[in-house]
Amino acid sequence: MDKSRGTLQKNVLQGLTVREAMRRQIISLPAGAGFDRCIRALIKYKVNALLVTGHRQEALGVVSKTDLMGAYYAGLPLTTPLQDIMVGPPRFCRADDSLDAALDVMRAHRIHRLYVEEEQGGQAAGVLAYPDIVGLLYRYCHRCDRSILRSGKTGADLAEHLTVREVMTPGVEAVAESAGLAQVMEALAAARLAAVLVRDETGLPVGVVSKTDLILAYLHGLPHATPARTIMNFPVQDLPQDEMLALAVQQMIFSDIHRLFVYKEDHRDIVGVLSLSDAARFRSGACRACLTSRIKI
Amino acid sequence: MGETAREVMDTEFFTLRPDLTIAEAVRLFKMASEASGRRVFGMMVLDERGRLAGMLSIYDIFLLIRPKHTHIWGEMGDLDLTGLLDAACRRARNLQVGDIMTTEVLTVAPDTPLLLVIDIMIKKHVRRLPVVEESRVVGIVYLSQVFGHIQDKLTGG
Repeated sequence: MDKSRGTLQKNVLQGLTVREAMRRQIISLPAGAGFDRCIRALIKYKVNALLVTGHRQEALGVVSKTDLMGAYYAGLPLTTPLQDIMVGPPRFCRADDSLDAALDVMRAHRIHRLYVEEEQGGQAAGVLAYPDIVGLLYRYCHRCDRSILRSGKTGADLAEHLTVREVMTPGVEAVAESAGLAQVMEALAAARLAAVLVRDETGLPVGVVSKTDLILAYLHGLPHATPARTIMNFPVQDLPQDEMLALAVQQMIFSDIHRLFVYKEDHRDIVGVLSLSDAARFRSGACRACLTSRIKI
Repeated sequence: MGETAREVMDTEFFTLRPDLTIAEAVRLFKMASEASGRRVFGMMVLDERGRLAGMLSIYDIFLLIRPKHTHIWGEMGDLDLTGLLDAACRRARNLQVGDIMTTEVLTVAPDTPLLLVIDIMIKKHVRRLPVVEESRVVGIVYLSQVFGHIQDKLTGG
């Protein structure tokens, strides 16, 4: 995010607390559970990480899709207990903390979620992740009189609304469809990405391999040499760079899509990726009207 | 010893394999419903050696197709949900049974007293219990059959 933007402008999240965005359903497993059980839980509950707990349900650590991808790369058996790879202790916040402060912690520590601590006992009462913050932003924008998410907006109104290009992460990581899964994992780890674009021999984007696909490949026992095309999702979910941010976020939230690839002129010309994390980090809702009013505050 | 699981268990049942797709599993749910004359909402999953590997219920499938952000839907009366359910089902179709099945499955033995079966069903909120003997699945007890069995006793008939 642009630093000057962050210091000059207040944002939509100001005044809101963690309590308003946090999710109360916590997906957790005991420290002795195997990776296979963890992968099933991540898939079924559509979460990127789960909490690892001890005998008294106390929070010991976190295992994410990234950790499991690392275990797959290292060739660890699926029966390995979660305690062997968990990252702990989990980072906590309080339900009454400001959402802004929580986002600052997440950004400073490069983590994607914070657990919400109960009064005592080291147990988690909730979890705050980027998609939940985007959900809150979306609700805020939906309620607004200027929203393009409701009918009746004119061309003039649209000018004040942010476009995808202003928020997306520019650039794209791609692999050939014949690339092995080990190569895909190396590309994802090096670029700290959650998904990689797959191109055919002519350079045409033909699919996407995400960490979700990779942990499923792990669960199915696929060897590292398996070509990316075997597990890729297709077609590529994309949108033009001048699409309204609000509409893109709407599409991601309601279709359970974690990211959309962004093209410039045509579908071959992918220039970036928009994820729910990008939208959350931006913190500004979906239109410039908010930004202007905030500068005056 | 009194009545046991053996007296109420079904010994003819359909099962799933972990490598079946969700689409194939749902087709088998349908076949099992037609064959048994009652709606089948869950089936046992057996591994290649015929041992119990897990259970797949419609609850597991519902979790998969339920949108993650439904908590923000409430206030959006103008939301157009056309096609979302179809898209969610399309995404779920090609996953495998073994990707989402529940592997922590409660089981009973054929000699487990019926009163204990009822107790487990109440405490653990389960509607079906595999019956396992020497690591082999020999039957399944459905809540409806347990109720059917005790109906006469309850009515004094």
